[in-house]
Amino acid sequence: MAQTALPASRSSTSTGGAGKWLGVLPFFLFAILFLIWPSARLMVAAFLDDKGGFTLANLAALFQNQTIVSSYLLSIEISAVTALAGGIFGFFLAYSVTIGGLPKPLRSMLITFSAVASNFAGVPLAFAFVATLGRTGFITAILKNIFGVNIYQSGFNLYSFLGLSLTYMYFQFPLMVLIMAPALDSLKNEWREAAENLGATVFQYWWHVALPILLPSILGTMFLLFANSFGAYATAYALTGGSLPLITIQLRAQISGDVLHNPSLGYAMAMGMVIIMAVSTTGYIWLQSRSERWLK
Amino acid sequence: MKNKFLIVLSVLLTAAIMASCAPAATATPAATEAPAAATQAPAPAATTAPAASPMDALIAAAKAEGSLNVIALPHDWCNYGGVISDFKAQYGLTINEITPDAGSGDEITAITANKDNKGPQAPDVVDVGFSFGEANKALFAPYKVSTWATIPDSAKSADGYWYGDYYGVMAFMVNTDVQPKVPQDWSDLLDPAYKGQVALSGDPRVSNQAIQAVFASALANGGTLDNAQAGLDFFGKLNKAGNLVPLISNNGLVAKGETPIRITWDYNALAGVDSFNGNPKVTVVIPKSGRFAGVYVQAISAYAPHPNAAKLWMEYLYSDKGQLTWMAKPGYCHPIREADLRARGAVPADVSAAVPDVSGAVFPSDAQLSGAKDLITKNWDKAVGSDIKAAP
Amino acid sequence: MKFVTWLRRAPLWSGFWYLLGVLYFVLPLYATFDFSLRIERDKIGLLAYQKAFADPGFLQTFVYSNVLAVITILVGLILVVPTSYWIRLRLPEARRVVEYVTTLALVIPAIVMGFGLVSVFGAPIKIPFTSIQLTDSLLNSPVGTNFIVVMGYTVLALPLMYRSIDTGMRTIDVRVLTEASQSLGANWFTIIVKIILPNLRASILSGALLTFAIVVGEVTISSILNVPAFSPYLWLLGQHKAYEPAALSFASFLLIWASMGVIQIVTGGRAQAAGAH
Repeated sequence: MAQTALPASRSSTSTGGAGKWLGVLPFFLFAILFLIWPSARLMVAAFLDDKGGFTLANLAALFQNQTIVSSYLLSIEISAVTALAGGIFGFFLAYSVTIGGLPKPLRSMLITFSAVASNFAGVPLAFAFVATLGRTGFITAILKNIFGVNIYQSGFNLYSFLGLSLTYMYFQFPLMVLIMAPALDSLKNEWREAAENLGATVFQYWWHVALPILLPSILGTMFLLFANSFGAYATAYALTGGSLPLITIQLRAQISGDVLHNPSLGYAMAMGMVIIMAVSTTGYIWLQSRSERWLK
Repeated sequence: MKNKFLIVLSVLLTAAIMASCAPAATATPAATEAPAAATQAPAPAATTAPAASPMDALIAAAKAEGSLNVIALPHDWCNYGGVISDFKAQYGLTINEITPDAGSGDEITAITANKDNKGPQAPDVVDVGFSFGEANKALFAPYKVSTWATIPDSAKSADGYWYGDYYGVMAFMVNTDVQPKVPQDWSDLLDPAYKGQVALSGDPRVSNQAIQAVFASALANGGTLDNAQAGLDFFGKLNKAGNLVPLISNNGLVAKGETPIRITWDYNALAGVDSFNGNPKVTVVIPKSGRFAGVYVQAISAYAPHPNAAKLWMEYLYSDKGQLTWMAKPGYCHPIREADLRARGAVPADVSAAVPDVSGAVFPSDAQLSGAKDLITKNWDKAVGSDIKAAP
Repeated sequence: MKFVTWLRRAPLWSGFWYLLGVLYFVLPLYATFDFSLRIERDKIGLLAYQKAFADPGFLQTFVYSNVLAVITILVGLILVVPTSYWIRLRLPEARRVVEYVTTLALVIPAIVMGFGLVSVFGAPIKIPFTSIQLTDSLLNSPVGTNFIVVMGYTVLALPLMYRSIDTGMRTIDVRVLTEASQSLGANWFTIIVKIILPNLRASILSGALLTFAIVVGEVTISSILNVPAFSPYLWLLGQHKAYEPAALSFASFLLIWASMGVIQIVTGGRAQAAGAH
């Protein structure tokens, strides 16, 4: 742990170069032992063909195989949509119980509800949405019987991109709430009062003061939402049975299939996912460093 | 506040340590200790089961191993619940049940992933779809049970690597509260009355049951056992007509009415009817044409941590008692040795009455099944899946 | 301007979003609950709950998952708080790397991680480059397996735990607090436990709740490592039974909500309502 590896009471500006890295050693050890090494060990198989020889064919298939490419695109699309929508909705919700002035008990309820909502994934969540918006769902029934609107006739279908996005939102926006609520707390009232004193409107306050401060956290969390959705499998599988060819579903089909399927291709797909995240991380870092100009 | 926090923390930590250290006390049989007798031996050489009293030697060896790791055996499937508890009661072994809801593909993956692992995650025995048998021979250890001769030749591998255990036919499970018009045959499913109501019980790229459903539909639509393309075309049509719901159906969805017509094995449908207990009312229909029998096969893993317990398990399953447990309510499966059992008058009348009549059912060969599996898994996306565009 | 002033006073805007959020949360839950009550024909009743709870598997797996969740939270905190603190204080250049690693944990599919853990820890632990065996495979014993499972869960929860704590660290002035404490003679342990941690109450709470949710809802790694966890049990039930899974989903939702309420109390719920500072 940190306290055993570090010298005591040193001035904060004069720690030796390499010694600094000892503080993060436990973290990296943990990551290597339980995340990187196990995953890498399997993903090495991406470079093997079925006889065990080296091949780049699996990786090439990622670009050439039309089904795989469109799976990646589909996954990226649904992740981006739910990250954005979940991020915005979650932000406003978090706002409403922090600065927005709703009573304190409502905040506690929202926080715990959010936490439990992110637990609800996979079969239970899929079933809950089926029971709500499926053909025999109770909202569908209410809309049909009371308001005379048959959403299925108008083209809505829960087992589609839209339906899956709606379902994903159930665990995306609570995540945003949980992480943003403490961040919104940090907006000091003094800043708002100061802005008012200087004659700023609410909009000006947000645009020039609050949002720039919050932007790194907002972007960071939306990025997390993106990654969260990108790697999700259970809910999509339970709701669409594999008919929406997300990359995680394809991957699973390759790895858990029988001998005629190609686990090496599955691991290559996993590697592709990691590479996509590397690319988007770069984009996110760039965005964040721009927005961090406003922080001291 | 901080002291309260620390106290609760230490209580929880102590409880947690105690809970995780206590073996079978809190945990289900899943977390058993691999006994010291578990061997690191490579694949055992092919043996035929010794007759009569060497069975005692087998029982002793199995008991020395102490436990058995099974995989993908839901209790409601062919009454495996009854089979497992009877086996435990008779021999006193612990049964460690890995992922009961796994599919055939997952079982094979579990064997390969756990090659070096002798812990409770490694399956000793598997129960997989027929076409998964010969294709994965290299992962199995051969063994011929004492009742080997009474298993039909077409349902076993000659050198003992895999052997059929039971079969059923593909059926429709219809929730008549939601859909009173009951389809009698495959072509009926295309009726516009069934829009958004028909579903499979698995993903045809991975699930044996779903693959067989597509293959079965081929027979009823002009295809043959050698060419399952007609099945893909049929499901493509079903999907375009909007009748096929892409959900993986289960009893919950049938009861809810979301997938009032579920295509599944007859024994699953019948067991479901029992568990519903009248709510909802369900009719099980074995389609007139395309009566398709699906055989499942047993095999012992070549990397089994408990090879003797595995052999004992097989002896039990293929004894009269084991076979009849699959057959009797709530199993509803046709055991592979049924002909032999009936010939010797070993089937009680009530058991015989409970299983559905499957006369005229067609049994595909391994080559035909493999061919169909190949075709269906590779082309399902083209035929049915990938028309679904990303646009909301 | 008067309209805006009024708008700011009465939290209509907030109320609107809150209501929307509540509807989104509650409606699917209500649908599940409603279905779970209908196990008997034409009757609304709790029979499905009785049947679900009568199954011993429910309590076993639920308790197991809860206990492991608490352990995972502790491991996660012990790992993340000092690391995040150290990065804020001394090592900003490590931040990108650490963030990338935590994002990896979200993106590498759980099935790959699960089989990876089996592959690495399913074999006996040897001294590298020799054949001297230190211990038997960790996965051969319940304690070893539980240990690996907790590590796996921690990896899964890492991104969210890290993001929560990091967001919190961002808002407290780590440098000033540290220097002030050091000038008063505190050592690192005291600084982290007595000064930093209490200031992070809200973030720790978020992180803890998220981790708890992840662990109890986790299916893949639990199945692959074959531990008696709650969600695989729920999943299996859903394959064959109709009403009991809905009953269990709803009941477990309430129970988890209660557990989280306990966590909130323990981490000082009032502090988070007042906001972290």
